[in-house]
Amino acid sequence: MSDYLDVLSVLILLSSFILMANKRTKSHIRTFRIQAAMIALAAGIMGIDSLYKEGQFDLLVVCAVIIAIKVIYIPHLLKKVDANVEYKVEKDFFLNIPILIIGCCFIVVFTYFSISTSEGINAGTLNMRVVNSVSLILIGLFFMISRKKAIGQIVGFLVIENGIFVTAMFATQGMPFIVDMGMFIDLLSAVMILGIMVFKINEKFKSVDINKLKNLRG
Amino acid sequence: MLLTIRNMGGQGTLLFVSILLYIFAAAASLVLMKRHKICNIVSNTLCILAATAGIAASIIEIFFNQALTDIHIFQSTIPLLSIDIKMDKLSAFFVLCLSVLVVCVSLYSIGYISHYYGKRNVGLFNFMYATFILSMLFVMISGNAVFFFIAWEVMAMISYFLVVFESEQEENQRAGKLYVIMTHIGTAFLLIGFMIMYSYTKSFDMFASSAAIPPFAKNIIFIMFLIGFGTKAGVIPVHIWLPHAHPAAPSNVSALMSGIMIKTAIYGILRFVFSYLGIQNTWWGVTILVIGIVSAVLGVAYAFVEKNIKRLLAYSSIENIGIIFIGLGVAFIAQAQGNSTVCALAITAALFHSFNHTLFKGSLFLGAGSVHYATHTKNMEELGGLIKKMPVTALFFLGGALSIAAVVPFNGFISEWLTYQSLFATITPGQSVINILSILTVAVLAMAGALAAASIIKLYGISFLGLPRSDHAAKATEVPGIMNIGMGILVSLCLLAGLFPMAVLQGIDKVTLGLTGLSILGRLKGGFLLAFYPMNISGNAISPAVIVGVLAGVILTVLIVIRMIGGKYIERKYGTWDCGFEALSERMQYSATGFSKPIKIVFKALFRPTRSIKIEGDLTYHPESIEYTVSAEPIFEKYLYGPLVRAVKNFSKKIKFRIQTGSIHTYLIYIFLAVLALMLYNRLS
Amino acid sequence: MINVVYAVIQIVVLVLAAPLVNGIIKKVKALTQKRKGAPLFQMYYDLFKMCKKTVVVSDVSSWILKVTPYIVFSTAVAAGLLVPVTTLIQPGWFTGDIIIVVAIFALGRFFMMLAALDTASTFGGMGSSREAMISSLIEPSILVTLFTIGLTAKSTALFPIMNFMKSTGTPLIHPVYIIAFITFFIIIITETSRIPVDDPSTHLELTMVHEAMLLEYSGRNLALMELGAAIKQLVFITLLVNIFIPLDQLIGVAGIAAVAISLGIYLIKVVCVSIIIAVIEVSTVKLRLFSIPNLAALSFILSFLGFLQYFVFGR
Repeated sequence: MSDYLDVLSVLILLSSFILMANKRTKSHIRTFRIQAAMIALAAGIMGIDSLYKEGQFDLLVVCAVIIAIKVIYIPHLLKKVDANVEYKVEKDFFLNIPILIIGCCFIVVFTYFSISTSEGINAGTLNMRVVNSVSLILIGLFFMISRKKAIGQIVGFLVIENGIFVTAMFATQGMPFIVDMGMFIDLLSAVMILGIMVFKINEKFKSVDINKLKNLRG
Repeated sequence: MLLTIRNMGGQGTLLFVSILLYIFAAAASLVLMKRHKICNIVSNTLCILAATAGIAASIIEIFFNQALTDIHIFQSTIPLLSIDIKMDKLSAFFVLCLSVLVVCVSLYSIGYISHYYGKRNVGLFNFMYATFILSMLFVMISGNAVFFFIAWEVMAMISYFLVVFESEQEENQRAGKLYVIMTHIGTAFLLIGFMIMYSYTKSFDMFASSAAIPPFAKNIIFIMFLIGFGTKAGVIPVHIWLPHAHPAAPSNVSALMSGIMIKTAIYGILRFVFSYLGIQNTWWGVTILVIGIVSAVLGVAYAFVEKNIKRLLAYSSIENIGIIFIGLGVAFIAQAQGNSTVCALAITAALFHSFNHTLFKGSLFLGAGSVHYATHTKNMEELGGLIKKMPVTALFFLGGALSIAAVVPFNGFISEWLTYQSLFATITPGQSVINILSILTVAVLAMAGALAAASIIKLYGISFLGLPRSDHAAKATEVPGIMNIGMGILVSLCLLAGLFPMAVLQGIDKVTLGLTGLSILGRLKGGFLLAFYPMNISGNAISPAVIVGVLAGVILTVLIVIRMIGGKYIERKYGTWDCGFEALSERMQYSATGFSKPIKIVFKALFRPTRSIKIEGDLTYHPESIEYTVSAEPIFEKYLYGPLVRAVKNFSKKIKFRIQTGSIHTYLIYIFLAVLALMLYNRLS
Repeated sequence: MINVVYAVIQIVVLVLAAPLVNGIIKKVKALTQKRKGAPLFQMYYDLFKMCKKTVVVSDVSSWILKVTPYIVFSTAVAAGLLVPVTTLIQPGWFTGDIIIVVAIFALGRFFMMLAALDTASTFGGMGSSREAMISSLIEPSILVTLFTIGLTAKSTALFPIMNFMKSTGTPLIHPVYIIAFITFFIIIITETSRIPVDDPSTHLELTMVHEAMLLEYSGRNLALMELGAAIKQLVFITLLVNIFIPLDQLIGVAGIAAVAISLGIYLIKVVCVSIIIAVIEVSTVKLRLFSIPNLAALSFILSFLGFLQYFVFGR
């Protein structure tokens, strides 16, 4: 079982790299969906395992909630927002894509170096899963930095959320149930508000280019 | 002045004979200065004989001798100034590289210099040529640091004169000036290193022990030697002289410079840092490895966008020196961590690559010289179709090109394989930084190898294949046969070393045994038959001879099978597919600049290309002519050396008027103060 | 004796099965486009037909154009001899490791790029220069991936690697190997000139890379080049299936029956991978030429990631 979890942690990290390499908003949403599905799968595997060993089905409920919210509802919401906005491809970047991907690699190496000496994490296979998950948080933040349009920012925020959840899940075999649920409700409301805001911004200013916020200075 | 000979043996005599023959060659060319043709032939023949003696001496030393050869020629009354010759296996190896190259280049020169007859001073050229070779020989066999330094300086100065031999072209003068400044900066660092060495051990003998030097001083000496030898080797960032100096020199001198002069720096590092100082810190190896990585990738990237044949080859030399530095870096890291097997493997890889590079770079420069002889141009954009006009040169050039591209039956692949194997052996679970660095090196080596192959394909394809792009190329004829013989010998050696790597490896292994005390061929027996075994490094074996056999067998089978299926081979000649235009001209083929455009765009951040388009003619859609110029920004010269030079100039300007006032009284006061200071120093010490 | 058996099996399987892979890919593409498509064995008929035709050679070209097809074909076969299709027979004299396999293909590619410049046609120069860019960008990931796999097996020779993979059970359930598998898939697509890197059925110079270099060949030369490219594709697929999906250890019997079953399993694996490649071809578009560095960077970083996973896990 731990082999499957290792593989899933690596595949989740791989999906974040694919996210970084993409320029189209539809691919962003689709990749996010795949990432959420894999997280749900990991939670499901851990849930089944804990069901057999301890009889608790917290993680299975969490898995179902993830599927409901992150795999079905949030991408649906994002697609609606995306359909109302007229751009579909990010054309200009601050740095070009190969440099962004190399930056993500640096993030992974850096995470490895800074985390691997913490106590309690040095327990063999647990180590790499935690490194993968923490890098996911940082890559999500990096994604938010590198994109200029609003949908990119939302997806980046969601990836950070994913990363935090996966870190907690791998490091502690599941957080307390209440905390999990609280996080999900937070996430849901944040995304709904962001979605409405993007729609409104687009309506008012006819563009969702974040860079244009600079015009509001002074 | 006495001549003491210790442990001379057969190889010592041969070495002595070789030195004498070089001196004769130099003297003969001075004597025969007026009669160009005889001077050329006599001088080069003497060089060939001298080099043959050198080959014999080095082979005897490597294979048959146990201790080192020691010849003391002069012991003058000036203290520390003695011509002291010591040849051990490491020196013998480099003498072998030098001598093999000199034989072929001298053969080539007999034909090449003929285009200087009556126009320039052939006698002076041959004098400098012979002295240049002699100085390099002395660098490699010198027994103490003072003699090494003197030979190093002589080598630098004579090569300056050779570089500016065609001095009426301004770019040659600029190249020479840059070269002499950079090489002296390097020599200054070497001098500081030697001085620190002397101040602790009170002797200049580099075959003695360095135990008296404390560790922090060893670190400083290492840095001095690294900068000093690095400048001669042409690693980034002190490489800026190499792409200008090597093309400016006449081609036989370029072959020597690129083939063996930059290897004297490798010899220096191995002799002084590895043997004499002994590796004590891991960061020494890491620095050399990082320098090697940067040189490999930047060297080949700049090579790929060049359109001057010799400058492309010069940048490619930078890349290959980078690969040798990678081998050295891995060896030093392994030695510092006590891992002798990996160290021996990496040093073998570095030495093998030095040998290979001498052979194939020498042959490529000789080929470039032949092209220049036949067409009087070095610009690829004016060549083309030479394979039909100069078939023999083209064939040998192809052999050299295949070697540099590291493809299978030639020797370039063998040394790259050894470097990969040494990197493979370095990666063990545990030390994270070294592992990440090693895998990055693997990636860089792979990319550099692919780009190097692409650059040489560009060079060969655009210069030799296709249609001639100018009159020069269309009227080219085959060069004199003796030039082709010289090139051919080098290329056949490349092929043989590639097919039978074990034969070369046996020799190099003995050198490694002397340096590290460990032999990677230790357990294999078989004498000379070993040459035909597959090359086996810790279980990973390759056998290029078998692969070539398989290739030949398959080609034969295919010919037979296709003959059976398709009948006799009927061929029809027709024009190249021209989309119905029927006006295919040589302007429609790819040019050198066009070939390198995709890579230039991909690595925009490195090259920062600037382009300018000038359109002449009044009609917008039918202009009379369009001139398109694209140029790459020289990053190192603009951002590193430019500010340095400007800072030095400003500083000098400011203090010029303070110190050199022009008033006699100030100068007299300076003299007075200096004498007082010296007397005080005498009192205090 | 065993060497001869090994060599014969390798050559027969590789040379005869190579056009079949192309046939399967074309058939799957046709079926997804609701066409019937050419017969599965069309490429065999094409090769036979091409051998019988007259060779038309450009009058500008030299001997390099005529020599290249033979070199491309023989290097593909020679590299194939080093990649065992079945791990039940041990190769004897044919010792070689992954680095030399890559180098032998580099020899073929060298001559192909050179011959493209030989005919003084713009198509050839264009194909060469684009191929130079693509190959130099993908080489690092090839070597890093193969090195990572070799490091886990503690050897760079292919037969020991495949044996080691047999002994680890299902390799794909390890993080190192799954990343290496995905990276290797990207490498196969790049090296065999498939969509999304290059379109193998195009005739427009805007989209040509590999096809541009083949433009001037005709008759038996063209047959050899096409067959050589097909064999190269099959060799890469063999590397993929035999390293990452080893099933030979499940064969119960021994002797000749075992070898036959192993070859049958190998062919089934190859067919499955061809179908996957065809599906990928159908569902993506060809990338713009200057978006290929993005793909190459992704593939290199993934292979580096695989290496990181390896040396932390230590497996």
